[in-house]
Amino acid sequence: MKLFLSGNEAIAFGLIEAGARFIVGYPGTPSSEVIPTAMEIKKRFGIRGYFDWSVNEKVAFEEATAASYAQIGSAVVMKQVGLNVAMDPFMNTAMTGAPGGLVVVVADDPGPHSSQTEQDSRFLAFFAKIPVLEPSTPQEAYEFSKKALSLSRNFEIPVMIRSTTRVSHSREDIEVGDLADLQIEPHFVKDVDRFAATPHFRLILHKKLNEKIEKIKGLEWFSDFEEYFEGDVLIVTSGVSFAYLYDIVKDNNLENRIKLLRIKMPYPLDVEKLKKAIDKIGSKRIFVIEEGYPILEMQLKTKMPVIEGRLSGLVPNEGELTIDKIGEILSKAGILNQKSYDFVAPPFKRPSLCPGCGHRSAFFAIKQVFRNSAIYTGDIGCYTLGLNLGAVDTVHCMGASVSFAFGFDKVYSLFGKNDQIVVATIGDSTFFHSGIPALIDAVHNNSKLILVILDNTTVAMTGNQTTPANDHNQIGEETKPIEIEGVIKALGVDFLRIRDAYDMDGMIEDLKSAKDFVLNSKSPAVLIFRHPCVYSGEGLKSNVRFKDVYVDENLCTGCKVCVKQFECPSLIFDENKKKVFIDVATCIKCGQCVKSCPFDAIKVEQ
Amino acid sequence: MKLVILGVGGMGAISLSKIIAQMSIIKGLSVRSSEIHGMAKKGGLVEVQMKIGEGKSGVVLQKTADFVLVLDEAYLEYGEAFLKDKSFGLIALTGEDKRWVVENLGDVRFANALVLGKFVKQQDLFTKDDAIKVLKGFKTFEKNRIAFERGLV
Repeated sequence: MKLFLSGNEAIAFGLIEAGARFIVGYPGTPSSEVIPTAMEIKKRFGIRGYFDWSVNEKVAFEEATAASYAQIGSAVVMKQVGLNVAMDPFMNTAMTGAPGGLVVVVADDPGPHSSQTEQDSRFLAFFAKIPVLEPSTPQEAYEFSKKALSLSRNFEIPVMIRSTTRVSHSREDIEVGDLADLQIEPHFVKDVDRFAATPHFRLILHKKLNEKIEKIKGLEWFSDFEEYFEGDVLIVTSGVSFAYLYDIVKDNNLENRIKLLRIKMPYPLDVEKLKKAIDKIGSKRIFVIEEGYPILEMQLKTKMPVIEGRLSGLVPNEGELTIDKIGEILSKAGILNQKSYDFVAPPFKRPSLCPGCGHRSAFFAIKQVFRNSAIYTGDIGCYTLGLNLGAVDTVHCMGASVSFAFGFDKVYSLFGKNDQIVVATIGDSTFFHSGIPALIDAVHNNSKLILVILDNTTVAMTGNQTTPANDHNQIGEETKPIEIEGVIKALGVDFLRIRDAYDMDGMIEDLKSAKDFVLNSKSPAVLIFRHPCVYSGEGLKSNVRFKDVYVDENLCTGCKVCVKQFECPSLIFDENKKKVFIDVATCIKCGQCVKSCPFDAIKVEQ
Repeated sequence: MKLVILGVGGMGAISLSKIIAQMSIIKGLSVRSSEIHGMAKKGGLVEVQMKIGEGKSGVVLQKTADFVLVLDEAYLEYGEAFLKDKSFGLIALTGEDKRWVVENLGDVRFANALVLGKFVKQQDLFTKDDAIKVLKGFKTFEKNRIAFERGLV
């Protein structure tokens, strides 16, 4: 059957076709589509398997490792920063190995388009001493996923599939194979020297790992290089850069100018074999062009100091290697005469919370109470955009809003500014992911931070995946909902208020009480401001909807307070009239902006 | 063929790219696309670049596209920048088209089929029947067909 699949969808098809029956992970752009696709395949083809979201990447990695210990083909899926969260089990599973096979799918985000870092996960494969395969197209993402699971099984070693945004989010016509239920049995063979190894045995495991990687280095298919075209300039490449270079050669008729040598497995790399192949080709100039860090280049440079790439300054050391960028590099090197042109950018639109988003109302209430006097620690999710309302001063990594608030509160309290208010904002899924341990620390060690949990009961930013608070998963299977307030109470938090984020007066009252509480105590105040995500079908359907929301032009003074402080994209300032109007095309008529007008000019009709 | 589709979130730019991909698959042509979504969820730019019967990546550079399909008039100038030849290949959904679709078919989303009609009319890789074959798979085939035929006129 031929399907038009994205790289991420293709990975799910490849893994399941190859026998993976346990696939878990945590959502994160650009990796989020693998698990939903696996769940849909399960439903459509009646395949038994466990495919679902975990609470975070570390937990997911451990769950998948155990499944593989029981001889079940497994995979774990995350974005590059997710792998940082899972580093501990990641390094360990490399040592113990993965008997049933374990594929580590990591989607990197060069650019970065939607991440805090621009790291190259291939380096972490190198660091952990596990093989990494690098597909350049969705078709290859499908094929390489199948190869990865079989390699992983054969050598009992985790194998990484390293994708990037342009592979994960591209589509291609792909002929997929048959998908059928498998008769498999879990079979965990106990071996404490391996699966509960003490340091002495870890040394032995490390030796075994080194032996495995040495064998894999020269393995047929994996270590084979692909050669394209017959030019005198040789470009060693891998991943999406290969696809771009291929297109550049074809589109510019450079078949007699450039020769491509494409590598499928950047680690472990058989440098001797590669050097021999390059020597045989005998090119005068050799470039290395790869997306991310110079991992091929650093390995090759030890044997071939003449190569040009990132280390020689030819290729920039940061930013995505787009097809334009590669064109520029080749032009700089005198190989291509890329016509320079003025890139026309699309009309700029500042990213903003959706019209009607409950987070906006919550941030507005927070700012009404604390103005610019508080320190605002933010977190990772849609609500990072609280930046636009001046209610986010720091954004670092998952869960850091709570620990940052702890750090700020401690130092201000200790060194003479005991009345400094610190307000942390975190989403519901991020709170489950890694906010809970930090809150335990805050309760136990007497931090008087204010924590606002912005609960929209979904992982909105990455496409509305389910959270542990939901009572069903994406394909309707029953799950046990975890009540956030239950968790908060169990941790011994003395101040807890729960409010609908559309109840502006109520939120302001709660925030004022929280302020009084923390100024007179040594423990955190937690507020849950809850409102369903209006970007989800259900959330929008159940949302408040007035017959009309409009600006009374006679009352509007053009002060722009609503535009600046409430910051809804549906509030637009008319430069000619010097009045605000409401964009009916985007407004969902929730009426939340009414409170933002100091002159009562925004009206609703019931 | 190099093609770019520009729309805003929720308008169906990706669905339209999938219809064209399906038409390509039926004809036995290779098809690749690259999707770029801005951070703005509602109303943000959705850009789909496509290559049919050529290339390894789905990426299309400015000044190289054979056709550009613009579903939102705010992106006309941006769309034009992708064209190989500025005098040919820009296919836009006009305000007039949108009104016609809403008045006659009740939902602006059928406008995609109208744009598909305009596209099919201007090029010679796909025929009218190629498009109909794919549209037939939709539950709302009849309304899509009406919109498509309107685009062909």
